[in-house]
Amino acid sequence: MSSAVEVMRRLRFSRELVLLGVLIALVIVMSLLSPLFFTLGNLLNTSRYFVEVGLMALGMTLIIITGGIDLSVGSNLALVSVAVGFTFAAGLPLPVAILFGLMVGMAAGFFNSIFITFLELHPLVVTLGTFALFQGLAYGLTGARAVSDFPDWFAYFGQAYLLGAVPGQLIIFLVAVVVVWLILSRTSFGRYVYAIGNNEEAARFSGVPIRRVKVAIYTGTGLLVAIASVIYTSRVYTARGDVGLGLELDVISAVVLGGASIYGGSGTIGGTVLGIVIIAILRNGLLLAGVPSTWQLFILGVLLLVAVFLNEFFRKGEE
Amino acid sequence: MSEARARVAGTESGARFRRYLGRPETPALAFLVLLVVAFSVLSDKFLSVPNLESILTSVAVLGVIALAVNQVVLCGEIDISTGSMLGLCAVAGGAAAQSTGGFLLPLVAAVAVGALCGAINGTLVTLGRIPSIIVTLGMLYALRGVILLVTGGAWITGVPNESRVLGMGSLFGLSAPVIVLFGLFVVMEVVGRHSTWGRNVYAVGGNRRAARLAGLPTNRVRFFAFVLVGVFVGIASMIYMGRAGSVQTNTGTGLELQVVAAVVIGGTSISGGRGSSLAALTGAILIGVILNGLVLVGVPGIWQQAVLGALILLAVTTDVVRRRLVGDGV
Repeated sequence: MSSAVEVMRRLRFSRELVLLGVLIALVIVMSLLSPLFFTLGNLLNTSRYFVEVGLMALGMTLIIITGGIDLSVGSNLALVSVAVGFTFAAGLPLPVAILFGLMVGMAAGFFNSIFITFLELHPLVVTLGTFALFQGLAYGLTGARAVSDFPDWFAYFGQAYLLGAVPGQLIIFLVAVVVVWLILSRTSFGRYVYAIGNNEEAARFSGVPIRRVKVAIYTGTGLLVAIASVIYTSRVYTARGDVGLGLELDVISAVVLGGASIYGGSGTIGGTVLGIVIIAILRNGLLLAGVPSTWQLFILGVLLLVAVFLNEFFRKGEE
Repeated sequence: MSEARARVAGTESGARFRRYLGRPETPALAFLVLLVVAFSVLSDKFLSVPNLESILTSVAVLGVIALAVNQVVLCGEIDISTGSMLGLCAVAGGAAAQSTGGFLLPLVAAVAVGALCGAINGTLVTLGRIPSIIVTLGMLYALRGVILLVTGGAWITGVPNESRVLGMGSLFGLSAPVIVLFGLFVVMEVVGRHSTWGRNVYAVGGNRRAARLAGLPTNRVRFFAFVLVGVFVGIASMIYMGRAGSVQTNTGTGLELQVVAAVVIGGTSISGGRGSSLAALTGAILIGVILNGLVLVGVPGIWQQAVLGALILLAVTTDVVRRRLVGDGV
C-alpha cells in the first residue's frame, strides 16, 4: 500500500505525462462508446468548441500562477461580442468594429487589474464585481437585442476551413499557445509570474515590478478573451449580451485540471492545453455516446474536484 | 488600534465615535440610509410600509443564506455552491411536500439535504485540503447535475398550502420570510458574540496558523461553517418554495454570486476574520433596496446586473479607502 503511494509520488515528476495518459485512455473509451468519435472530422470539429475556452484558459493560467483568479472572462466575452456587433450595426466598418472590440476586451482586463493592483483588492472580489458589471453592461447597453446581419467574410474567423478540414481558429489557437508558452517559459516576465505566485512579498523585495506584471497579465487575458469573443461571434453569427454565461467555470476547470495550483506558483501551458483537450473530448464523447447533457455537468464537477485533490496530493509528496 | 489612536487624539465620545466609524458594516449602513433617503425623494411610492415589507420579503432568501455564508467568509473560506444547493434543497422539500404534505417533513427534508451538501463541502475543504473556491465551484456544477438527474428536468408543482407556511404565512402583521430572516439574524449575532464556535470563527479567519497553535480545532470550526450554510440554505429553500408554489430546475441559478456580493458589500472582509452578521444582513437589504428602488425610479430591469456589479466594486473600494484613513477598527 505504502509502496504504491511511493511509486505514484515518484511518477509525479511529470504531471503532463499523467494527463497525457488520461487523455489517451479517454480517447480509447470514447472510441469504444461511439464509432463516430474517432474520426478526423469529429476530432477537428471538437476543436471549434475548445479554441474559445482555450484562448481564455491561456490567460487564466498566468493569472492563476500568480495566485489570482478571473471570474469575469465569460462576461467580458459577452461585452466584446456586443461591442463588435453593435458598433458594426451603428455603421462602423467591420474591421474597425473588430479592432474596437479587441480594445474593449483589453480595457476590461485593465479595469480589473487597476482594482487588483492599486487598491490591493482580492482578485476574487474584484472579478466577481466585474463579472456582474460586464455582463450587465453588455445586456443593458444593447437593450437585450441581438445583431446578426454580418457580411459573409466575417464567417472566416469562426467557420472557415483551411487545408480542407482544419478549422481556421485552430491555427489562431496554436499561434497563441506558442506565444504564451514562450512568454511564460523563456522570458524574465515569465519568471516574474512564477515568483509572484510563489511568494509575493519575496518577489517585491527582489525588485519584481509586481503591479506592472499583474496589469500586463490581466490586460493580456482581456485581449485573449476578446479574440475568443470575435471567433465565438463569428461562429454563432450573432452578437448578444447573454453569451458566454458560465464559460469562466469551464476555463478555470481546464487550467486546474492542467495542474496549476489554485494557491499560485505552479502551472504550465502544456498542462493547460491538455486540460482543455480532456474537457472538450469528454464533452464531445459523452454527447456522441448519447449520455444526457445533465450527466455532463455532474461529471465535469466531479472531474474538477478529483483533479484538484490529486494535484494537492502530489504536491504534498513534492514537499 | 484606532481606539488607542483616538484616545490620544481627544475625548471619550470622540473615541466612541471613531470606534463606530471603524466597525465593518458602518459604510454599508450609511450607504443604505443615503439610498433610502434618495429613493424616497425620487419616488413617492418607495417609503411606504407595504413597499418596505415587500423589499424585506424579497431579500429573505438571499439574506438567510448570506448570514451563513458570512460565517464561512469570516473563516477565510468561500462558498459559491449555494445557488445549486438552494435548487436541490427546494427539490427535496418540494418532493416531500408533494407526496406527504405538511409543514415539518418538507422542512426537515430540505434542511437534511442542505446539511449533507454542506458536510461534503466541509469535508473536502478540511480533510481533502482542497481550496474552498474549487470545492464549491465543483459542487455548483455537480449539484446542478444532480437536480436535473432526480427531476428529469420536470418542474415540481402543486405544492400544498400547508407546506408553504415559511413563504406565505404571517404573524403579528409581519410576513413569515421577514420573521425568519430577522430571527436567524438575532441567532447569528448571539452566536457570533457569545458562543465558543462563533468566537473561534473570527480567530480561525484572522490568523489560521495562530489559531491552530493556540489549540483551536481549525478544521472542525470550518467544517461546521460549511454545514451551517447547508442548513440555512435548506431553510431558505422553504421560503423560496413557499413564495413560488413550485420548484423549477433552474431555481437559484446565479444566486451564489449575489450572496457573496451581499456579504462583501455589507463589510465582511473577503480575506476573513473581520465582519459581522449585521454586515451580511445590511448587504442583503442594500441589494434589495437598490433593485426595488431602481424599478420604482423607472430604470429598466436589464440594468440590474450592471448596477449590482458596480455596487460590489464601489463597496470594496470604499472599504479600502476607509481602512487607509481610519485604520482597521475594532
